[in-house]
Amino acid sequence: MRMDKTQRGWALAAAAILMVSAVIYVLYALGSTQGPRGSSAIGLTFGVIGFAFMIFAALLGARKRVPTWRVGRAQTWMRGHLWLGFLALPIILFHGGFHFGGTLTRVLMWLLIITVFSGVFGAALQHYIPRVMTAEVPLETIYDEIGHVRSLLREEADRAVESVCGPIGLDKTSDAEVRRAGGFTALRAIAASAVPLRTSAAVSAGASAAVAAAPEIILLSEEESAPLRRFYLQEMRPFLEHPERRGQRLGDEQKAACAFAGLQTLLPAAARATLDDLTDICDEARQLQRQARLHHWLHGWLLVHIPLSLALILLGVVHAVMALRY
Amino acid sequence: MTTAATPPGMVDITLDGNVVRVPAGVSVFDAARMNGVNIPTLCHLQNQTPVGVCRLCVVDTGARVLTASCVRTVEPGMKVVTNSEKVLNARKTLLELMMSDHPSPCVRQQNSGDCELEMHARAAGASQARFAKRTVARGKDDSSLAIAVDHDACILCDRCIRGCDEVKSNFVLGRMGKGYSAGIAFDLNSPMGDSTCISCGECMVSCPTGALTNKSVVGTAIAAGPDAQGFEAEDLLQIPVFKGVSGTFLELNRGAIVKRRFRKGDLMCREGEFGSTAFYILEGKAKVSISTPIAHVKTQGGAKGFFKRLTSTLVAREEDKREGETRDRTIPIDASVDLSYGNPVAELGPGDLFGEMTCMNFYPRSATVVAESDVVAFEMLRNVLDIMLKNKTFRAQLDQTYRRRALENHLRGVPMFADLSADFIEHLKESVELQRFAPGQTIALQGEPADCFYLVRIGFVKISENYPGGEMVLAYLSRGDYFGEIGLLGGGIRTATCTALDHVEVVRISGDDFRDMVARFPSVRTGLETVASERRAANQQRMQMVHNVSIDQFLSQGLMEAQSLLILDLQNCTRCDACVNACADAHDGVTRLVRDGLRFDQYLVATSCRQCRDPLCMVGCPVGSIRRRNSLEVIIEDWCIGCGLCAQNCPYGNINLHPFEVMVDDPERAGRKKAAIKQKATSCDLCTHLKEPSCVYACPHDAAHRVDPRTFFAEMLGQGSTK
Repeated sequence: MRMDKTQRGWALAAAAILMVSAVIYVLYALGSTQGPRGSSAIGLTFGVIGFAFMIFAALLGARKRVPTWRVGRAQTWMRGHLWLGFLALPIILFHGGFHFGGTLTRVLMWLLIITVFSGVFGAALQHYIPRVMTAEVPLETIYDEIGHVRSLLREEADRAVESVCGPIGLDKTSDAEVRRAGGFTALRAIAASAVPLRTSAAVSAGASAAVAAAPEIILLSEEESAPLRRFYLQEMRPFLEHPERRGQRLGDEQKAACAFAGLQTLLPAAARATLDDLTDICDEARQLQRQARLHHWLHGWLLVHIPLSLALILLGVVHAVMALRY
Repeated sequence: MTTAATPPGMVDITLDGNVVRVPAGVSVFDAARMNGVNIPTLCHLQNQTPVGVCRLCVVDTGARVLTASCVRTVEPGMKVVTNSEKVLNARKTLLELMMSDHPSPCVRQQNSGDCELEMHARAAGASQARFAKRTVARGKDDSSLAIAVDHDACILCDRCIRGCDEVKSNFVLGRMGKGYSAGIAFDLNSPMGDSTCISCGECMVSCPTGALTNKSVVGTAIAAGPDAQGFEAEDLLQIPVFKGVSGTFLELNRGAIVKRRFRKGDLMCREGEFGSTAFYILEGKAKVSISTPIAHVKTQGGAKGFFKRLTSTLVAREEDKREGETRDRTIPIDASVDLSYGNPVAELGPGDLFGEMTCMNFYPRSATVVAESDVVAFEMLRNVLDIMLKNKTFRAQLDQTYRRRALENHLRGVPMFADLSADFIEHLKESVELQRFAPGQTIALQGEPADCFYLVRIGFVKISENYPGGEMVLAYLSRGDYFGEIGLLGGGIRTATCTALDHVEVVRISGDDFRDMVARFPSVRTGLETVASERRAANQQRMQMVHNVSIDQFLSQGLMEAQSLLILDLQNCTRCDACVNACADAHDGVTRLVRDGLRFDQYLVATSCRQCRDPLCMVGCPVGSIRRRNSLEVIIEDWCIGCGLCAQNCPYGNINLHPFEVMVDDPERAGRKKAAIKQKATSCDLCTHLKEPSCVYACPHDAAHRVDPRTFFAEMLGQGSTK
């Protein structure tokens, strides 16, 4: 979620709650002979409010599981989650008088701090990464489809290389008729368009297949095609199979450009169109790799945030029961 | 030279040095043929008046110049030389000249190797012309279903013209143009398919070259089964409906028509299946029905019951009346009858034709037809059906059946005509005109005087309006829809152009009858005026938008055509798929949106119904079940048969097929039911049952929005342009 001016209302409300709470806490702390304690009426009130905020924040997960229930817009829940979840930390600190207490409360406090900061970290990521992804991955596809699109890219690259080099001894993994993300129906509308479109991987790939004229097939001699064959089998195919491996030349945009420029000088002009195709395929594979990485960042932090939140709520309940009962 | 021994009525001539006796008045060409001398010709046929235009039959009669033997009559004592070097050289030069103007090998030569010009040229050693080839093509005409026209291969021999005029007395063909651009023309140079040509085939069988060739339906000859009987052309010509059709043409199309026998209970065709044939019932009765449940997909639960899960079920109109749904409307099918909404079953009998749209336009079958008794029927491909539809006898019979059985239902299917009195309907039955239009043909032109009202009987009609710089599609009308009322009720001028998208048949009600109708039935007038004003307002709104927005990419992505877009702001979207999950949750697990599609600036236009202004999805629905509400929102009526054509036609992939399990009759065990999967087309319904689209409601990041692109993007683009 982008932290922009649309958050102003919630930010002001949160700031007001924090200020009021701080004033109350300061007055209470100054007036209390034994210092601020969680078991006092005010301390208990802070505890209840702080825990309520945590519960509300945790309910976002439940809310997401029933998306069609008309119990408030998901956007409102998300904003409440962000701001009230963030407020839970100072309120709980007021509740404990900035003391971490015994083992359970110490664990709880650390859990709360880590949870809140992981949330803040996540919010920051969700603020920046969508913009980065939008700008850097114009050929973005649905995350779950990345593997499939990659396999189609490989097949397309195989076909392109074989069209100039002849058979290169690769296993065909699927029907040769399959085109990269072919069949996406939006193609039909844009097939005749001369305007370059910024589209997702599926659309752009299919569109290029639909719009582009059939390339002229010129088979190179073995000697002429040797550099391309070597490059493809030793470098590009492994990259398309495992783009996540580090240290690959084609994984870097600049180095890949150099590699293709060098290759162009070694191949006859007839292979230029194929080389351009391979360049585009590499570019798309790189973008998909970038998308996968960004996606992991975008959602990976939840692996920390969610379990800790659940543990926090669970231990918070234990703490409340123990504190009130004993 | 007539000697005393020459009998009256005969003359003696010398033919290639031999004295021969021939009837007086015959042509030299015929005289030679009678005596076993073959003179080559291209423009002459024995059953046609000789015209002597090709000059290939020239002979030397001792005159100053060579003469065309087909037009020169014999004279007593005439000395004719048919094979002198001078004659042969003249013929060779003529052949070379014609070959230089002929696309060799032409279609006929390629297909059957019997192009007369090329055969003569080869025989004369003139296959390779010395002269320059034609540089300007005269073009091809592919508009007829039965005959292909290649004007480039035409040698202007006029055999086709004489075949059409003299032999068949149809007077469709003639000459057009002068000099290099001269050629044959149909009517006033109309495309053959749009002309008054009845596809009798006479021109084609007369043509010596590949200029007019048979257009056989490649690879789709009807499979002959044990109950199918093929025909010889002679047998077909004995059947009244084929009277007047060229025997040669039928011979060429052998296999495109079979006679089938169906036993009681046999399935003749099944709804939703694609096919390419039509059936004409000769004997017996058949039941036509729709087996898919007559109901629409409704999502229930959710907001109404807090813990109740949302479920999608099929409900009929009686249980759930949707806004904009028409009242007791009949279901249009591809036959001479319509089905009623309450009981979608009807009977077809001898003389009924069904499957016309499937055959002519390749639409899916609109209904299931089962033989109720033993049935004998012709099953035919579209080239044969096209000939039959142009046959006056057959046409009259079909029109009569339509007037008798379906016209009243058809008229009453239009809500505002429901109150017409029986006597007026009877009057209309006799006075209306049934018209056919070929694909692309203009039915009414914007700006023309409005002189009639049209009701669509078969096919799809595009209604469009011209504006500076383009054309705006206002609507697609299908069977049961009508047009022409705005012009008649307004200023008497057509406000839009109406064009046939495929093979269209309309019921034309004359201006006088229309005026009589609105005068006698005020409710009809009121209803028509209301609809006309609604259409005018909607058209104006669309035209207004055309003038407001003009951005290349915006147009190329079809965004201007959309009325409501689901857009995702990619700078806000965390790709969490909450929107997709919400959509699936709201529709029984079948999502109606895919988080993928075209990008426009920072927005992803998700794959979800756009409520297009030019709804291509509506074109071709065999039962007319996909249409607009008055709000222009797309609605799929209860009688959707799940054929999937709308999903296939949607350029954006925004229509899905939702499978349902229903109980149907078990064909193997009579009286028992078995579970079967039937499909219904579904598109984004904007979650009308939940007040707000679930995808938008469930987006936690303020990224998903349902917007009117007219305002949303126009404002953004406007801001951009001022910067």
